[in-house]
Amino acid sequence: MSVWGALAGGFLGTLVLTTALSAGSQLRITRMDIPFLLGTAFTENRTRARVVGYALHFVAGILFALVYYAAFVVLGRAGWALGLLFGVAHALFSGTTLVNVLLPAVHPRMGTPSSAADSAPLLESPGFMLLNYGRPTPVLTLLAHMAYGAIVGAFVAGAAH
Amino acid sequence: MSASDLSDRYPPLRDYALIGDGRTAALISRAGSIDWWCLPDLDSPSVFGALLDAERGGRFTLGPEDRAEVRRRYVPDTNVLETTFTTATGRVRVTDAMTLPGGRLEPLRELARRVEGLDGRVPMRWRVEPRFGYGLARMRIEPRVPFPVATGAGTAVAVCAWDAGYVECDATGMAGRFEARPGTRATLAVSAAYGEPLVFPGRDDVEQRIDATAAFWRSWSARLRYTGPWREAVVRSALALKLLVFAPSGAIAAAATTSLPERIGGERNWDYRFSWIRDSSFTLESLLQLGCESEAKAFFWWFMHATQRTLPRLNVFYRLDGATHAPEVTLPLDGYRGSRPVRIGNGAAEQVQLDTYGELVDAVYQFVQKGHRLRLDTGGDIARIADFVCAQWRRPDAGIWEVRAEPRHHTQSKAMCWVALDRAVKLARAGQVPSGHLDRWTGEAAAIRHFLDAHCWSDRQRSYVGYAGTEHLDASLLLLAIMRYDEPESPRLRATVQAVRRELAVGPLLRRYTGDDGLVGGEGAFTCCSFWLVEALGITNQRADAEHLMAELLALGNDVGLYAEEVEPSTGAFLGNFPQGLVHLALISAAIAMHGDGT
Repeated sequence: MSVWGALAGGFLGTLVLTTALSAGSQLRITRMDIPFLLGTAFTENRTRARVVGYALHFVAGILFALVYYAAFVVLGRAGWALGLLFGVAHALFSGTTLVNVLLPAVHPRMGTPSSAADSAPLLESPGFMLLNYGRPTPVLTLLAHMAYGAIVGAFVAGAAH
Repeated sequence: MSASDLSDRYPPLRDYALIGDGRTAALISRAGSIDWWCLPDLDSPSVFGALLDAERGGRFTLGPEDRAEVRRRYVPDTNVLETTFTTATGRVRVTDAMTLPGGRLEPLRELARRVEGLDGRVPMRWRVEPRFGYGLARMRIEPRVPFPVATGAGTAVAVCAWDAGYVECDATGMAGRFEARPGTRATLAVSAAYGEPLVFPGRDDVEQRIDATAAFWRSWSARLRYTGPWREAVVRSALALKLLVFAPSGAIAAAATTSLPERIGGERNWDYRFSWIRDSSFTLESLLQLGCESEAKAFFWWFMHATQRTLPRLNVFYRLDGATHAPEVTLPLDGYRGSRPVRIGNGAAEQVQLDTYGELVDAVYQFVQKGHRLRLDTGGDIARIADFVCAQWRRPDAGIWEVRAEPRHHTQSKAMCWVALDRAVKLARAGQVPSGHLDRWTGEAAAIRHFLDAHCWSDRQRSYVGYAGTEHLDASLLLLAIMRYDEPESPRLRATVQAVRRELAVGPLLRRYTGDDGLVGGEGAFTCCSFWLVEALGITNQRADAEHLMAELLALGNDVGLYAEEVEPSTGAFLGNFPQGLVHLALISAAIAMHGDGT
């Protein structure tokens, strides 16, 4: 197991995850747009928000890969199947807590049930399991995170040989 | 369904006004109903499509509960619409705008409506019925916080209402009622998202954006250079054209709609939400003459870029993003007043229309005439097109009107091939285009003229005719004068202009042609042809006639100065897609030809 494998896997996994969600958006399956959600926490400018959001998402993807790596080390084994399971947990955590609860709590422009829209523009909140962005969103998010986990797991395991 | 039922459910096309933001546009009826709006772009599926299916299409109605007299105008020199309703109990003003972004976190697209009480008390009601994917996609409406949201087909709209009454939601829409009194103001906004989360706007932001949008349009109009006697009509036409400019690419849509019929109940229903290369020459000339330099440049580079994939062959039109694929599909919708089929996409894309080459090369020529220089590769492209024209002009084609009958040797197509070669020769002599094939181009141009004089002139009609071997006339022959196929004093040109008027005019209007076009049913008079006649009369030194005709035509626009593709001569009713860019281009072109741009 190697931390370099985790970093490379995190980068590639995030690339795949972002591309899958973006394709889902283009195919009218979901309105989930992680770079837009992240970037608008820092700027009101749409274009700048997307650039900032992509950068942040890649940083987050690599940081999560390091968390995966730590878990692999603790368990003493790594592989694509175990990574895929981590991805399932990751997706559930994102859908129920990370994006659904924590992001609206810290995002200065995201609506919560207690928000009024009189003063500032508000971004649509994701809702439980991100369902506000379209019914297929949880499934797509789950599949994308499973792919991410499998890639990270495979890279971490591969780097050991 | 009876004709009167249909009339009740489908307002006359004359009743519509257009608002837009350079990406998409909406049609609003005199009654205050938004019956057409595509998301996210002009050529996307509709979310309000009652224009094409009153039952399933979806709409946003806003107006008094009681009968009202309606007066309507654009806020001067803007694309912001102002409708004043006067009822027995009072007066209320509705201001409609598709707001423009200001660089902050704003909705992806926003349709804003401001309601101001002026006199008395006016009970008002509104209802939003979004129907995604031309009314064919599944939709959900959820009473979310802070605003209700409708979703479907990867698109979402939030209906934001302030001081517009309690918002009731049901499975089919969102609605409210309120009373307008002097000094009160209600605001409604539809915030739309596609492929991303919605942005819920604040009221102050919406209000500020309505005002900023009006200010932008005023400043844009102030730049227009025309100062002749028809300034109001020219400015309105320029504003309408600007709404057809697809800002992300620079392309200009032929019209904002699809499948509005050329005859009520007929089958001539086409999708015009594409950019026709044919319009390029008129577009560029008009934009450059009006001083819209940035729009002209954007359009020039758009069509030079879009055509790269097919050069030297040109498609008849391209999608607004430059793509070439536009398969024709029939939608299961009722159609405007029962006019089926409702089509999206356009089967004419793959037709052979030789006139397109002349119009494109002429556009390039005009661009250079205004002091621009061509890049080396662009000059090379023009040379390839000229070579292609030399090889192809002897073929029959579908002609400017895209007739679906057998291909013919259309006179106007051949003349435009001559224009392509004539302009290529001039560009080559100016050093803008490689001149290696200059002799070939000159020789083939002479051969085209010989063909036209030998086969496309009728001594009996004393006119050029629609195509070789016929006696039928065609309004497109007017373009021979407009595109300077011959000198203005040319007896043949003058005689042709007079013959076209004699044979095709119905009052101030012109039919497109006589004879068969391969389609069932007739059509109205083609509005752009009448403006071409004005310009052709002016060019051939018949100015008094031209001035008189122009005055008559300007009276045929609707109450806000817009024109549809066609007018039914007997009733004055609008037919065909609306508003049509080519008509407004022809109006501007005629006005400038008669009185210059005032500079």
